[in-house]
Amino acid sequence: MATAPLPDAPARASRVNPWVLGAGLAVVVPLLAVLVLNLGRDPHSIRSPLVGRAAPAFSLAPVGGGAPVSLASLRGRPVVINFWATWCVPCFEEHAALTASARTFGDVQFLGVVYEDDEARTKAFLADRGSSYPALLDPDGRTAIAYGVFGVPETFFIDGAGRIAEKFVGPLNRATIASLIAKAKGGGP
Amino acid sequence: MIPMLGRALVLLALLAASGGALVGFATGARPTALGWLWARRLAYAFAAFMALANLLMEYALLSHDFSVSYVAHVGSRSVPTWVSMVSLWSSLEGSILFWGLVMGVYVAVATRQNRDKHPEYMPYAVGVWLACGAFFSFLLAGPAQPFATVPGPPLDGPGPNALLQNHFLMVIHPPFLYSGYVGMTIPFGLACAALLVGRLGHDFIRPLRNFLLLPWIFLTVAIVLGGWWAYEVLGWGGYWAWDPVENASFLPWLTATAALHSALLVERKGVLKAWTVTLVIGTYLLTILGTFMTRSGVFNSVHSFTQSAIGPTILVFLAAALIFAVVLLTLRVNALAPEGRLETGPSRDVVFLVQNLLFVLFTFTVLLGTVFPLVVEAARGVQMSVGRPYFDRMSVPIGVCLLFVMGVGPALPWGRATGRQLRSALLPPLFTAAALAVLGFVLGVRNPWTLLALFFGGFTAQVTVSELLLPVRQRMRSHGESFLEAFGQARQRGQRRFGAYIVHAGALLAIVAIAVSSTMGTSKEIQLRQGESTTLGAYSLTFVNAERVSEPHRESVLARMDVSKNGRPIGSLYPRMNQYESQREPIGTPAVRTSLTEDLYLSIHNIDPGNRTVGLLVLVNPMVGWIWIATAIMALGGLLALMPAWRGARVPVTERARVATASPEGSS
Repeated sequence: MATAPLPDAPARASRVNPWVLGAGLAVVVPLLAVLVLNLGRDPHSIRSPLVGRAAPAFSLAPVGGGAPVSLASLRGRPVVINFWATWCVPCFEEHAALTASARTFGDVQFLGVVYEDDEARTKAFLADRGSSYPALLDPDGRTAIAYGVFGVPETFFIDGAGRIAEKFVGPLNRATIASLIAKAKGGGP
Repeated sequence: MIPMLGRALVLLALLAASGGALVGFATGARPTALGWLWARRLAYAFAAFMALANLLMEYALLSHDFSVSYVAHVGSRSVPTWVSMVSLWSSLEGSILFWGLVMGVYVAVATRQNRDKHPEYMPYAVGVWLACGAFFSFLLAGPAQPFATVPGPPLDGPGPNALLQNHFLMVIHPPFLYSGYVGMTIPFGLACAALLVGRLGHDFIRPLRNFLLLPWIFLTVAIVLGGWWAYEVLGWGGYWAWDPVENASFLPWLTATAALHSALLVERKGVLKAWTVTLVIGTYLLTILGTFMTRSGVFNSVHSFTQSAIGPTILVFLAAALIFAVVLLTLRVNALAPEGRLETGPSRDVVFLVQNLLFVLFTFTVLLGTVFPLVVEAARGVQMSVGRPYFDRMSVPIGVCLLFVMGVGPALPWGRATGRQLRSALLPPLFTAAALAVLGFVLGVRNPWTLLALFFGGFTAQVTVSELLLPVRQRMRSHGESFLEAFGQARQRGQRRFGAYIVHAGALLAIVAIAVSSTMGTSKEIQLRQGESTTLGAYSLTFVNAERVSEPHRESVLARMDVSKNGRPIGSLYPRMNQYESQREPIGTPAVRTSLTEDLYLSIHNIDPGNRTVGLLVLVNPMVGWIWIATAIMALGGLLALMPAWRGARVPVTERARVATASPEGSS
């Protein structure tokens, strides 16, 4: 079958239809452009309005006792503030990366702020897994509220002038920590 | 062993599909019997390899072979057997494999049904189908590989997404959706073939229409099943939220519905050929856009469990398909010259055109609202979302207009109507229209759009019923048959028409039910202690106690709520909170008491068995049950309309030759 030429072979009217071309391109080009431009987008990460503004001040007591740590006293050097909890699984994952980075970056002050957790559990967790920077207690969650934290882990990178340079949601690894510290130091990326 | 065998089957499917696509296009350009034979063989081979790969995955899932990456990802020894079986479509790689199976079945059936028909079109069509098949085989071979080998396989896996285990609707919703989505490949291939050949003959519009109707039925059911699932599981009391993923399934439905109607004008009058072909191609492109929207993670949706890294690959395919479509239409659309003329005066023809434009307007409205957040973010870097107010404000007037058009169109004759015809067609239905609107008003409807929907709903109902009964009345008069006899005969003889009006009846019922349920509901949120009661409307609810229930795969807390209506006890409802092993957040299951007039809907916000308190959302939703009934009616009508074509395809060859000499179409 289909070998014999068809009796009424279609008129090969292959004239370009400029209207169809115009209308097609008018729909297709913007649509594709928008989709391509948004390819890397993650709609679930909502940018913090705090980025670029002065970091909210606090003065919190560290786990295990000692003098309260205030943000104002650290002015002049970059600060990394990590909100975390012992009940949070991604916080386990990033704990080693944060501890190691705090040792590597001697000129950066790392601070942990304990989010909705109690001191005894936190102490046991740090004894078990090690620590290289202070963990601060935020008993009524006021500091977390001031920073607009809505889940843990969330980490804020603050520059020497006390402004929030970047906010990161979710577990960090060492490479991300390094690049965000570089940003807080003003070196880009 | 199984991973390697699976990868081999996927590669063979890829080979068959790409080879078949090339053979199909070559044979389309230069027809030979041998080429057509091989195009067919490769199409069947593609289907067979996909089916075998799916069987193999089912075997791996049921035998808990965790050396298969997909099984390690979604399998678990602790879930019931049926959960293991349906895990095939519970996650990305498996669902694309399942997608391949559905595609294989469609391609094989469509090829077989047309193996000795439409010789100039079919090789091109098979070429297009297999080109699409090749893309999905490629996804399975690379970016979304289900058969990767897991070295040192684990002893047990996490089990599929908890949402899949939570409700049976989530088990049957994906197969329906894929059957709708994937099925659109077939009319797409046929439409491309018509363009490539440069002709859309009267005989070819039939398979195009029928293969559009079949996935349309699946898609209709799938959309509503999705809404039903949201209603029964998510616990916010509604069934549709204009979420991007919901819109993704709705967009191709809109264009497919438009195309089903414009195809009728092609068939009857030989007009709107290019328009119909464009709608069919657009429908397929929208399914691919929908796939991208669901899988890429670019859109903000509650359905985030389907996100993956295959977005860029799908985007490349979407871009290629879009460019192919625009180029093909630009070069070939002039070849599809109309054979007739479209009537311009008041006539059914014009109403068809208006209906088509309304559907296209609806499509662009929803598309714009869905991609607008992306436009804004790309242009200004600002995050925003388009919410229900936009969609509701735009879709309500369009929906009401469509309801009106659905009544006016069938009431008018084909060709120009005279003034007397117009009056006798349009005045009597106003009676039911007014009656229904007044009834609604008496029952308390005050929303003007709902009243309008009732008015047009009544109008369309009367037109639909009288059109359904028209041939019956004629037969009773002319043949002297009893009502039942005449009904049976008329149904059999005009089954396509009969089916179409059944679909209309379902659609108008659905629109009215949506209008009433979305504007006439009442709700309240309340915190109850054990033994306390609350009332909403005619219902009175008492929180009796909270119970814990343990099942192998989940722990649940149930609230026993004793319900009475107008003071008479009508039983207990058990809204619950389920905690799955694999999921941190608990998933609620609302308790819904459905009746023909209204649903009582109880959803737990929080429950504390220790404290003996429960936080409840209580809703009374009128007419929601009718949406599900209406959908069943629409699906039934669609199947009725499809049956003559199916029977035609199954007539034995000798019989068909005889029929073919009698009528040039030969298919029915």
